[in-house]
Amino acid sequence: MELKYEPGKIKIENKVFTALDEFVSDFMKLLEGYTDYVIVSGYVVILFGRARGTEDIDTIIRYMDKDTFTSFYQRLSREGYYFLNPEDVNGLYEMLEEGLRVRIAKEDTIIPNIELKFVKDDFDRYSIDNRLEVVIGEKHLFISPIELQIPYKLYLGSDKDIEDAVYLWDIFKGEIDVSLLGRFMKALNVRGKEYGIEV
Amino acid sequence: MELKFDKGENFKERLEFVHYYAEWVKRVPNEVWSKQQAELIDSFMVNAINFKMTPEKYLEMVNK
Repeated sequence: MELKYEPGKIKIENKVFTALDEFVSDFMKLLEGYTDYVIVSGYVVILFGRARGTEDIDTIIRYMDKDTFTSFYQRLSREGYYFLNPEDVNGLYEMLEEGLRVRIAKEDTIIPNIELKFVKDDFDRYSIDNRLEVVIGEKHLFISPIELQIPYKLYLGSDKDIEDAVYLWDIFKGEIDVSLLGRFMKALNVRGKEYGIEV
Repeated sequence: MELKFDKGENFKERLEFVHYYAEWVKRVPNEVWSKQQAELIDSFMVNAINFKMTPEKYLEMVNK
């Protein structure tokens, strides 16, 4: 695996673009016209080679006012997307404002879908303020810092999430800020030593 | 009836495979690991049209 690191950026050259990458990239290109976003959780691991699928792409977005959201909602509709949640645009916006998540898929499909939520807590805020740009050919996506992804996956705690954390550690251990990783692990009260994650 | 399945041992083996697989990904060029991954992911995406749950049932399932 060849990854090129620049401050705030990782370039993956010569990567075969999957249909899932295409789905995510097309959606994020629309989304970034309306607000900042950061992709967290499962898709981040898949982007760097983990051989598994995902039903949804967890995405945190900065606050959008209602007019901007309405405009985004209308744009999505024109582009062939729909919201799985049985709400009109006002109901969807209320859900986001209440800290709930909304899901968006291409028409006539359920999966994969994009799960959107507004920034809610300090970890969300850190993710979006310090997001990493991943450049794949002509396309780019923004992901959560790996130093937060690993502890967050350990915090989620399912077998699959722990496997994801271990995978990210194995891929990035020479490149990430281990001290920062340690601070997040302490903040989330998780330990990785038993899985070989040494901080 | 006895189930001879050690969950802990199974998880340990799965983690060993994750390490093994990650080392392989790190060793080979991007076009090699990503081509193999794409075959798997693209097959999931093709099969996604067979996901016959309604949006309502799906949301009920994921929000549990």
